[in-house]
Amino acid sequence: MVVLLAVSSVCALSLGTPYVPPHRLVAAVLDGDTTLAGIVVTELRVPRLLLALVAGACLGAAGLVLQEALRNPLAVPEMLGVSSGAALGVAAPLVLTLSLPAAVQPLLAIGGAALGGGLTLLVAGLGRSPSAVLLTGAAVAAALQAALLVLMVMADQLDLQLIYRYLLGSLSARTWDDVTGLWPWLLVAGPALVLCAPVLSVLRLGDEDAEALGVRAQRARLAALAIAVVLIAPVTAVCGPVAWVGFLAPHLSRWFAPVAGAVRWLPWSAAWGAVVVAVADVPARLALAPVETPAGAWTALLGVPAGVALMRSGGRRRTARHGQAASVGAREQLSELRRTASGVVDDVPPAAASHHAHRGEPGPGGPTSPPLGTIGTEDVR
Amino acid sequence: MTRRFTALGVLAVVCAAVELVAGRGMSPGVVWDVLNGGGDATERHILFQLRLPRLLVALGAGACLAVAGLVLQSALRNPLAGPEVTGVTPGAVLGAVTATALGLAGWDSPLAVVLAACAGGCAGAALLWLLAGRGRGDPAQTAVHGVLVSAVLGGLTAMVLLVEPGELGSVVQWLVGTTEGRVWEHWHLLWPWALVWGVAAWLLAGPLTLLRCGDDIALAAGLSARRARTLALMCAVALTAGAVAAVGALGFIGLLVPHLAVAVFGADLRRSLPGAALTGAVVVCGADAVAQLSSRLLATALDSGRLTLPVGALTACLGAALLLLVVRRTPSRTF
Repeated sequence: MVVLLAVSSVCALSLGTPYVPPHRLVAAVLDGDTTLAGIVVTELRVPRLLLALVAGACLGAAGLVLQEALRNPLAVPEMLGVSSGAALGVAAPLVLTLSLPAAVQPLLAIGGAALGGGLTLLVAGLGRSPSAVLLTGAAVAAALQAALLVLMVMADQLDLQLIYRYLLGSLSARTWDDVTGLWPWLLVAGPALVLCAPVLSVLRLGDEDAEALGVRAQRARLAALAIAVVLIAPVTAVCGPVAWVGFLAPHLSRWFAPVAGAVRWLPWSAAWGAVVVAVADVPARLALAPVETPAGAWTALLGVPAGVALMRSGGRRRTARHGQAASVGAREQLSELRRTASGVVDDVPPAAASHHAHRGEPGPGGPTSPPLGTIGTEDVR
Repeated sequence: MTRRFTALGVLAVVCAAVELVAGRGMSPGVVWDVLNGGGDATERHILFQLRLPRLLVALGAGACLAVAGLVLQSALRNPLAGPEVTGVTPGAVLGAVTATALGLAGWDSPLAVVLAACAGGCAGAALLWLLAGRGRGDPAQTAVHGVLVSAVLGGLTAMVLLVEPGELGSVVQWLVGTTEGRVWEHWHLLWPWALVWGVAAWLLAGPLTLLRCGDDIALAAGLSARRARTLALMCAVALTAGAVAAVGALGFIGLLVPHLAVAVFGADLRRSLPGAALTGAVVVCGADAVAQLSSRLLATALDSGRLTLPVGALTACLGAALLLLVVRRTPSRTF
């Protein structure tokens, strides 16, 4: 992963016009404003790369928080109406030609995102079966999309190009201002993430166990949603809904570290999100060279098939790779999939048995890592 | 049963009449005048060259989408299998947009657009088939995978649109689904296609009713389930492609109108298939009339002439509300 990150960063910094060879990058940065290459690198490419990394990390972390809180491998911002809501909040003033100060924009995005996500969860009812939540989310997202399209039809041709690009999630022409606009929000969201990670791993046990351990499940879930909204909305305000990163990153992190808890997955998911966006931004900039393609289109194209493949192959591969020791994780993943499929858990005895076997040796997820085997047995209906 | 058909027919006529008088340019009195043979050239042009084809296209597209939805739901035995959810509609949009962008087809060669939309719809359905894999028996799972397929196809459409940015303005209306500016050419393109495949669907009504009961019963009754299902899917894809090529991706008509039709006309497809066609026509026509009326009111209220409400936005909102209702009202079921 480090290699991938390094390669994509160097590509992002050196490729393009003018081409700056990798070994001259340092000199160019040190030169600063004096040479053309220095200006291009420090003023355009470095902020863009930083923005890609930060945005990816936020989206990845938010995706994991949502998936863990709703105990649903398909609960992604796109499917819950969070992204559409945020996009609507940003696009509306653009079309209606209201002039707003730049500081208000993230607030509008947050308002929209909270509206979308809250509406979904309110209508679906908290803790209902995962498929019901997803279908409700799809309906809410469709309604918000319709509102967005009405706005787009109203806009004139020039605005339309702008909005369309924005809606697909583009990182083009972002400067230091955009990056500095992000970090106050990160200051809020970072500590909140650290606080909520252990709670998330408890929520994984199922609502009844979580309540028995002293966690108010519904309230924790709402808090998790709020954190996800705070993470997603500023990113959306700056670079548009970069699609499906919140779906791909958590699955990547789970695939590479199958036997771990939410605490361990959270930083990995953020890191993978950053890598995904940084990698996707390279073809977005260069594939159709004079024209910029939005990074969000690439993440949607590559992210969804990859994520589904990971989700599907996860169980099988893990069993082969880690042998008997990791069968708990595999079975947990399988039962999770099966629960999504039918809402009925039919492998309680084996899961419970392996859970007892597993409790002897605590997983590598640290002291807060839950015994994973119980996941299949408690299903909130 | 006949009474229900009559009632629906009357409703359709009322919707059509409202649609005819709802537009912006003329008052109802003038329309009546023109219908009686009066009016000047402009008014005659508006009525006969703009409003009438628009009305017919709305009726035809609604009927197509509703029939396609009912056929899909019966063939796959999945109450959530609308053309939007199974990747057929986004695929058809992608096919049409790609063909237009590559210069293979344009509004001057309408048949090519329909064929491209058809190919795209088939590709979308095939993609879902691959993605759903073993879990395709479960309705909700298939629907969720369908949303994923739609996302991929949407990304592809976006790429095509960005390569050919000149198309964007006209295509956005297509993505929402609108009956704005449909003329006789669209109608001449739509009705033979809809008629052929509509008749095909009608002929399949008996086998489809059997398929609704389950494969075992269908086999016991002497039906080759696989062949009937393939034919039905082809029929549904073709009908959706025709409607998409004519009016664009009207949201949720194909998903929810069939439920309405089955609720009113019963599960026997020989009756509910024409019923679904009629219901779809009424819903789209009514939604279009409401959209026109509200955009007229909004235009006078906000005093901005360019404001038009596309009918697709209205049906999507309506459909979303209905879907929420359906999901909410079945708390004990797992989907």
